[in-house]
Order: sequence, then C-alpha cells, then structure tokens
Amino acid sequence: MPVDAEKEITKLWKAMHNAQAEIGKTYYRWRQVAIEFAGDDVKPLDVALRAAEVFGKDIGKSFLPRMNWLKGEEGFMLILAKALAGLWLNDGGLATVEKGENPGEIIIKCTRDPWPTWAKEFGVPMEEVALCRERMYQSILEDVSAFMNISLAIELQKAIPRGQGETIMRLYRTE
Amino acid sequence: MAKVLFEWDYSDYPGAKKYPHLFTPIQLGNLHVPNRIKYAATEENLNGRDGFITDSGVAYMRERAKGVVGGLCFMQGVYMDEARKGQGYVGQAAAWDDKFIPGLKRIADAIHEQRAIAGFQLMDCGRVGAVEVESGHGPSTVPQRLRIFKPMYEMTNAEVKEMIQQHVDAAKRGIEAGFDAMEISGIVGYLISNFISSYTNRRTDEYGGDIRGRMQAVVEVIQGVKEVCGPDIPVGIRLCSEELLDDVRGNTPEESMQSYKIAEEAGVDYISCTLGWQESIYPVISRDIPMGNWVHLAKRAKEHVNVPIQMAYRLFKPDLPNEKIGAGELDFWEMCRPMIADPLMPKKVLEGKEDEIRHCVACNLCLARLFRDAPMTCYINPICAHEANSEFTDPPPAEEEKEIMIVGAGPAGLECAYMAAQRGHEVHVYDKRDGIGGTLNEAKNAPYGDDELWTCVEYQKVMCEKAGVEFHLGTEVTDELIEEELPDSIVLATGPVYPKLDVSSGDSDKIVTLLDVMNGNVDVGENVVVWGNRKPGIGCALHLAKQGKKVTLVGKDKTAGFDVNPSFKWRYMIYMRQNGIVVYNDCDIVDVTDDGIVVKTYDGYQWPIQCDTIVLSQREPNESLKKVVQSEGIELFVIGDALIPRNLSSAVHDGYRIGMRI
Repeated sequence: MPVDAEKEITKLWKAMHNAQAEIGKTYYRWRQVAIEFAGDDVKPLDVALRAAEVFGKDIGKSFLPRMNWLKGEEGFMLILAKALAGLWLNDGGLATVEKGENPGEIIIKCTRDPWPTWAKEFGVPMEEVALCRERMYQSILEDVSAFMNISLAIELQKAIPRGQGETIMRLYRTE
Repeated sequence: MAKVLFEWDYSDYPGAKKYPHLFTPIQLGNLHVPNRIKYAATEENLNGRDGFITDSGVAYMRERAKGVVGGLCFMQGVYMDEARKGQGYVGQAAAWDDKFIPGLKRIADAIHEQRAIAGFQLMDCGRVGAVEVESGHGPSTVPQRLRIFKPMYEMTNAEVKEMIQQHVDAAKRGIEAGFDAMEISGIVGYLISNFISSYTNRRTDEYGGDIRGRMQAVVEVIQGVKEVCGPDIPVGIRLCSEELLDDVRGNTPEESMQSYKIAEEAGVDYISCTLGWQESIYPVISRDIPMGNWVHLAKRAKEHVNVPIQMAYRLFKPDLPNEKIGAGELDFWEMCRPMIADPLMPKKVLEGKEDEIRHCVACNLCLARLFRDAPMTCYINPICAHEANSEFTDPPPAEEEKEIMIVGAGPAGLECAYMAAQRGHEVHVYDKRDGIGGTLNEAKNAPYGDDELWTCVEYQKVMCEKAGVEFHLGTEVTDELIEEELPDSIVLATGPVYPKLDVSSGDSDKIVTLLDVMNGNVDVGENVVVWGNRKPGIGCALHLAKQGKKVTLVGKDKTAGFDVNPSFKWRYMIYMRQNGIVVYNDCDIVDVTDDGIVVKTYDGYQWPIQCDTIVLSQREPNESLKKVVQSEGIELFVIGDALIPRNLSSAVHDGYRIGMRI
C-alpha cells in the first residue's frame, strides 16, 4: 500500500488550517452571544476585554508547571516569552522573541496574525483585536508574577490593523 | 529514668543477630523505644469523610502495629480545623473537636494491643489541603502549580495564631486518646512546610522574612505542643532536608539545615528527614530512583543537629538502614510503602523470614489513589485496605478439598496457587517454560528499576513452596494432558497472546515478538518500531533505546501508558523524550513494506515509517484450552493477562481473589 505523501500532507495541512479558522470563528460567535446577553448598556469592547481576562487567567495557570528559574532571570524571561509567542503560533500566526535593549526585557514580534481577518468577518473593530491580545497577556502574567514572586508587565508597542506588518509587544520586569 | 511502655527482648531472634543495629533500643526524649523501626504516618483514605475513625482504619493500623515489633507506629496525620482547610484527603482523620477522641482512642488501643508505641501526627495540609472545601490557606497567596489543588489564600496574623493553637488543642486530644509520641508534619507542601519555604512564605509580619522568621510559626507550634506533652511524650517533626524547589526559588539546602537547627532549639526530640514536595519537578520515591539514593541526607542532618534522625525514602530493605544506623549516620528506619506492601515486613526481618516479605515495587499506585479521593490500595498487596475483612486476611479453609491444575507459573498463577494450597487444596502448577515468573521474566529486563518487579515472583515462589504447591515446569498443558489428569478445577493463567499484525505481509521476517526482544533471542535492527503503546511496549522501547536504537512507538491507545498509574506515568513520558523515542498514539499499522511500515491515524491520515524491525507488544486475551476444559465439565477460572491483558497488579489481585474463592 504505497503512501501518496503529497496527498497526505495536503490533507493534514488543510485540516490544520480549518481547525485554526474554527478557533477564531468560535470565539467571535461566542462574543456575539455574550454581547447580546450583556445588553445595550454594556460596550462590546468591555465584554471582549473581560473575556480576554478570563482566557488569560486560565492560560496563565497552564503556564505555571513550566515556569523555571534554574536558568536565572534571563532564561526565565525567554521561556515565558516563547510560551506567549507560542499562543500566536497555535492560532496560525508567526511570532518570534528576541532580547530587548534593557536587561530582562524581551520583545515579542508577530509578523502574521490571523485574528484581524477573523474579526473582520464578524464586523469587529480592529483595535479590539490588539487590545484583547494585550489584556489577555497581562492577565496571564498575573498568576505567573504571583507564582514567581516577581512583578512582570507586558505592553503593546505597535499594532498594525488587519494583521499586516508587525505587532510588537514588550515583556519586562517592573521592579 | 526513661519511660518504658513495653519490654521487648529480641536477643533470641535471628533478625536481631543479622541486623543488630535495627533492634537496639534508643531514647526519644524521655521515652524508651525498644528498636529503630517506625511505621511513618500514612494517609489511606479509609476513614469517614467526616473525619471519624472507621473499623477499616483501625484494622489497617493494627496490622502495621504488629509489624513494628515494639517500635513506633504512627497513625495518619490528623487535620485540626473545623473549616477543613487543612484537610488534604477525603478520608483523613480529624481532631478539631473532643468528639473525635473515642475514635482516635481505638487506634491507640489497637497499636497498644500489639505492644507497640502509638504515635499521633498533626498535619494541616495547607497548600495541598482543602480537599472538601473551595479554598485553602497558607502563609501567602501563591497560585497553585498543579491544577488538582484548590486555590489558597494568605492567612491573617490572627489566623496564624489560631492555627498554632489548633495544633496544641489537637495534641491534647491525641494525648487524651492515649498516644505515646507526638509528631508535627512539615513536609511535601503541607502547611508547616509552606511557612518554612521561601517559595510559599512571602509574609512581612513576624511569621515571614528570613529562615528564622519563616520558622517562627513552627517554633511556636513546637513549643505549644511540647508544653502539653510534658517530659514523657516525645515531640518530633518531619522536615524537608531539601525541598527540591530550586526551579521556583524555594529554600536552599543550607536554609533547610537551618530549619533543622531551629526546630532542635525549639525543643523537638527527633527529626524525620524528608525531601521533595508534591510540586517538585524531580522524582524522589519512584522505582527509577535507586534504593538508598537519599540516605546521605540523613548523615548530613546528623552533622547539623544532635537529636535522633529518622528517614524513609527508598530504604526498602533492612541491610542499608542497619549499616547506616551502625555507622551513626541514621537513627531510625522509617517505612511507609514497604509496610503498605507488607505490614509485617520488619517482623519478618526480626524472625528471619525475609524471604516471606512481599516487597513494595515503588509504583506509587497508593499515592495515585489518594490524590484521586479513592481508598488506599496496593499494587502488589491484595489485602491492603481489606484488613477489616477476615475473608481477605484469613481466608477460610476450603469446604471441599480439590485437585487444582493451574496453567501458567506467572504472577497470577503463583498467587492463586499458594492461596488455594493454604486453604487445603492440592495444587499443581504447570508451565511450558523451565522456570517460573511467566512474562515477568521479560518485563524485568526493562530499564528504570523494573528488575524490582521480580521480587513479587520471589515472594510467591517461597509461599508456594511453604504451602506445598507442586510444580510441573517445562510441561506444556495440552488438551490430552487435561483429559488425562481431569482435575477438579483448572485456572488458566497462561498470560496473553501477541497477535500477528492484520496486514497482508504480517508474516514478514522483520516482525518479532516482545518476548524475544526482551530476552535477547533475536537480532534487532537500528531502526525499530514497537507496536503497542501500553506498559510492555514502553518498557521494550526504552530497553531498545538504551541500546542506542532509534525507536518509534506506535499504538492504538489515545495516550501512551494508559495502563500505568499517573504517579509513575509522568516518569515514563520524560524518559521516552530523553531517549528520543517518537510516539504515535491513536494509530494503527496498515502495511508492512520493504522499508518499514505504514501508519494510519484514527481519522485516516497515513505516512510511512522506515524501520528494520517491528516488535509486537500489543496483547490479547488467551483463549486456548478453554474449550477443552469446558467440554470436560471442569470448573474453570481465567485470571491475569489470559483474561484481559493488564498489568502485574491485576495479575496478583486476580490470583489472590480466585485463590480465596476456589
């Protein structure tokens, strides 16, 4: 039974992209439901930001078993930044990490982000995508900071509408 | 003058001559202890969910008390707060009110009946507690690393003082119940250890700061408990000699030794030397850790303090603790798991019956059960947690003596054989192999400590010989032999079968069986696929990877090691990664080609894997001989892997239970 490698890889590749697309669509379907339930007095952005907090809190817990100070602060910050970048990669983005100019500072760069495309399908403002990403990462860091007894912060430095160009985030210690 | 509870004279016992240091008396505080044996406090989830002691809990402790032959026998640690934040196990005993005293007294009395010293342990589970409530407590709010544990919140200064008083009050109840020794648990992530560790204590009041500040609550607990215990009841503490939490900036070993000194200054009469937390990323007590691996920590502890040092942790056999006690590097041999596997273990050592010891195989099934709110059980000891049931502990003689043919001298067959023979049956064990042990002969060749599994067979062999079981090794049981012998009952313990691959080229000469590989009977190529992702396949994959082979593990189960308990499985996952083993789960082999195999996922994707050898480890029940037995109208039992391929534990438990019933 010969294996047609091209056919198998193509099938797998399509299935992966379909699964990734479903992630975004499912999120925005639920966003719509949440906004309807929240009522007219609540801004959609506030609902989305609250969701980002909840997501971040849960993802942060899943980070804790992997947190490791054995390689010192620089090693720890790199591991953490790679874990954050990995979330983008899982969704179908391209993200890299590099050391920043200051000690203990890491820059996360995303050069391909599928979320703005999905957001557009559902008529969601582009700035919401960037703000939610920032809020989710900040929420992830809450438990990580408490767990490692250090104060960590992350900030959005650059966001390009519709996902082209680069999104840049800065991870650093505040003390 | 030391307080003597029970007089023991070991001078005539062979074990006391062979291991003289284990059976030498010692003084803990003012209490005379006849030997150096201690059953360490162990949770078993046998008590009521309301914290009251049950018959099962009492019976469990009575057996362990028999085993220590006059030494220390500690009941499980009790939680001490009505709010149950300190409760870490659903069946943990409570001592937060006087209403628990009668139950606790039953335990003390059961231990005293065996002329052993009854120990009472105070254990607030802290960070790993709150098993029945929404949140726990600790010195500081530090998120949980493992999701199985509840969120926990920082105690106020007043709550810390209340916790200290709870220890004192619970100690009073233990004394009233009749206990002779008191112990504070400060290990593995429980509350006292949370206070001591820089990882979990970030307080800025008098209970935080440097190691002396972090020890302040512990000091106050020790002093309070000492005061109520008086001079005749020794107070000990279990403390981490190394937390193994350097990845999360826990205490350094130097700080841990400082904690020992501070505890000694506060007045403890002994220290139990432990290591590691439940959150540690290093293995401590599983089978892959060599025996005696940690005993040097006891020596280091003795270099820092003058009070007696006790230690457990992979000290499963008497020779090493005897040697270390003789050398002055240890004072007490503690045991938990070895006496779960065989409650009479030290007694058998004393009586010169070491060959009758059922040794713990360090699988950690007992722990896995506790963490999943299940009653204690033991992988290797079918009686464990059934001590209150005389059908298990003392099976009645057979109503009718039968001639029993047991087919297969593996762990299932041997276990069944001696139990049935002890009950009065005439038992004949047949095996086509020339030796006993069945497929354990091959399984013991897997790396990371699997040779310890063989102790099970050694024990069973001795028990069979003492029970008068007759062996017919090198004899394959056939239809004709059954028709000739016509026994009253037949037990099929033939082990599993390893089916051929269901592909057109399933007879390829590159396909071999697990048994041949593990025995070294066949040549194995450099690239190997092991078919079957349960424990036998994993053991074989690791065995081959250790020889430098490039190994791919392919199996039908959704995760590899489905049949391995979670407390050990994580080790296998790490070892497979470390040894470069590629794992494809939820897959089937759909073709064997000239170059290797074709793998197909559950949802239809296919890809080739190059290999020189394919090892079959996938097992199925063994149906052979059943028809002829049934056609002759002979009573039939099928046990172990022949019934359903599982693991060593299932084989032993099947064998014991059928041996009881037959």
